[in-house]
Amino acid sequence: MLRFLAIQTANFARTASRLSQKGSGTTLPGLLAEKIDPNILSNLAQKLPDGIILITGTNGKTTTAKMLASILEASGKKVIYNSSGSNLSRGISSFLIQQSNFFGSKIKGDIAIFEIDEATMPEITKKVIPKIIVVTNLFRDQLDRYGELDKTAAIIGSALEASPESTLLLNGDDPLVSSLQKYNHKVRFFGINDQIKTNSTGAIDSKYCLQCGAELIYDNRYFGHLGVYKCPSCGFKRPKLDYQLSELKLQVESSKALFLDSNRNKALLEIQLPGLYNLYNALTTSAIASELGIDIKIIQDSLQKVSAAFGRMEKIEINSKTISLLLVKNPTGFTQVIEMLCYDKKPKNLFLLLNDKFADGTDVSWIWDAELELIKDQTASVVVGGIRAEDMVLRLKYAGFSLDNISIEKNTPKALDLALANIRDGETLYVLPTYTAMLELRKILYSSGFVKGLVE
Amino acid sequence: MKPGLTLVHLYPDNMNLYGDLGNIVALMMRCQWRNINLEVKKVKIGDPANLKNADIIFLGGGQDRGQKNIAQDLLIRRDKIREEIEKGLVALTICGGFQLFGQYFQTSEGDQIPGIGIFDCHTIADQKRLIGNVVVDIEKSVNEWHAEIDFPKYKGPEKTLVGFENHSGKTFLGRGCKPLGYLKIGLGNQGDGGYEGGVYKNAFGTYLHGSLLPKNPWFADFLITLAYYRRYKKEISLAKLNDTIETSAHQATINRAETAKTLSI
Repeated sequence: MLRFLAIQTANFARTASRLSQKGSGTTLPGLLAEKIDPNILSNLAQKLPDGIILITGTNGKTTTAKMLASILEASGKKVIYNSSGSNLSRGISSFLIQQSNFFGSKIKGDIAIFEIDEATMPEITKKVIPKIIVVTNLFRDQLDRYGELDKTAAIIGSALEASPESTLLLNGDDPLVSSLQKYNHKVRFFGINDQIKTNSTGAIDSKYCLQCGAELIYDNRYFGHLGVYKCPSCGFKRPKLDYQLSELKLQVESSKALFLDSNRNKALLEIQLPGLYNLYNALTTSAIASELGIDIKIIQDSLQKVSAAFGRMEKIEINSKTISLLLVKNPTGFTQVIEMLCYDKKPKNLFLLLNDKFADGTDVSWIWDAELELIKDQTASVVVGGIRAEDMVLRLKYAGFSLDNISIEKNTPKALDLALANIRDGETLYVLPTYTAMLELRKILYSSGFVKGLVE
Repeated sequence: MKPGLTLVHLYPDNMNLYGDLGNIVALMMRCQWRNINLEVKKVKIGDPANLKNADIIFLGGGQDRGQKNIAQDLLIRRDKIREEIEKGLVALTICGGFQLFGQYFQTSEGDQIPGIGIFDCHTIADQKRLIGNVVVDIEKSVNEWHAEIDFPKYKGPEKTLVGFENHSGKTFLGRGCKPLGYLKIGLGNQGDGGYEGGVYKNAFGTYLHGSLLPKNPWFADFLITLAYYRRYKKEISLAKLNDTIETSAHQATINRAETAKTLSI
């Protein structure tokens, strides 16, 4: 009865919130429902025949969730995932209620994929028992909100301790993530075995052994602190991989690699997305899908068809010009995008937008940890916008960019016009916005009819 | 090329939070643009360091784990660093680095991590985190900077430092350490909007990230002037650079600090 009442209240709240146009109806219904029936989330979660997949970590959650959904759908499963929602507990409740029938006795799906912010993990695992928990990687991100990286790892650890029944899928190449194995005994690792190396020499987020504090030795480093590492002092090392990629081929617009699962099944993965970080996303996805028993052929076919997630190398046609949206939100992600743009040596036209609202991180210091230096001699033009445009221009000056190519314009519609005027028909403008700047830009593109929806 | 300077970057791998690397970049570029050769030497845990050849030492902020790892190594170097600081070695220490250059840091569990006592101050961890844009007024404090030592005084027209603070430690200054400045906007050492940072001789400590030096070019130049004077026993008149971009970023930070709310969570 409680559940019924909770669901009806939530449905009412969602309708009311949408009608009053005060909200998108994503969190209030769940908040009310949780107040009436605190067990609503666990009750609804149990109705999913194939269970719940939780994806957490700094980078790659959205793309991985999107790739996984398309594989599972291709295998005939009905998938629900929180693509547009708030990923707090009440957002998850709201979302499940929306997918459930009138009485809350059934859910319109076989399996749920949830991307969860690191800090929300303990709250969620208190209420649901996920079938699989995935940790993609841990990089510095919006530190002013979460505190520090070690604390983030400890928070995830406490969530893992509370989920002894879940299978844990960890990025073995990330020492901070692989060290989470101590919290749970059903652990599987994924990672890369390849000769590819990073050009970046900059700050590494986690270079020291978590067990003993000695400096880790890298046989090979792929990017940031991801790579093949070992501790010379206590023996902590990159674990044996259950799922791996090798024979990597990286291009600006697409990537290829050979996937190998724990039963030595092989498949050549081709994805229409650039950059090593997207191959990591494809690997993570393939590992989850294999863990769920999906045929390797289906994985291979579905991945080939996946297009970019919201703002992740999303291509938008503007008359005869193209803009390519590349969300940047932390130093490692920013450096990765820069490295990817450098795969071909042609001079690029860039449009950088730096905001410092809450969702961007209110501290803009992080741009000094991104290696803008790598692309300084490969830009034809740069337009800089956003609330903290001056900080970004300053960063470019000290990275050694030629100031003649740089213009600053804090009015975003004008800045977009300026940036588009820099490129000829048939050329691509690479747009690197922080999160809220991307939303603003999409709004502009939406009102001009260049994108169909404001959210995915 | 003019005679050069040497910067010792202490523990770059452990103490590299919040873009503090930008400070090194700023010093390097501002020297390079004036044909002064600035050599940067990275010193990791256990590495030998020749502090006699150092003109500037830099120590940034770190995570708690980073901090514990280096505290011990820093203690071994304490006497050598102190000896040089007494003779006017220029030091810039930020956030965790500032704390470790104090007497001690008391963790939230009540443990005391000993610092090297350059600054007469101690830090106590608090539950609340002090986060936000900061504007510091140095007009009053600048006359007390390095009062104990005969070095060129700062005489420039700029009177503010801007940056971003993000710390949970509260730092209390003793009598032997002067504040870097007083807050116009922000929470500062004690979280009460009073004073910011600490100065002893030519050693400066602050909570300002941002990065600090690129956005406060006059302060970067002042550190270079002090280092040059100590090494070559004469005042250098640094070539004037076009700082339009630096000044506009400085001003934009002030504007943003006035509109964006400071968080204390």
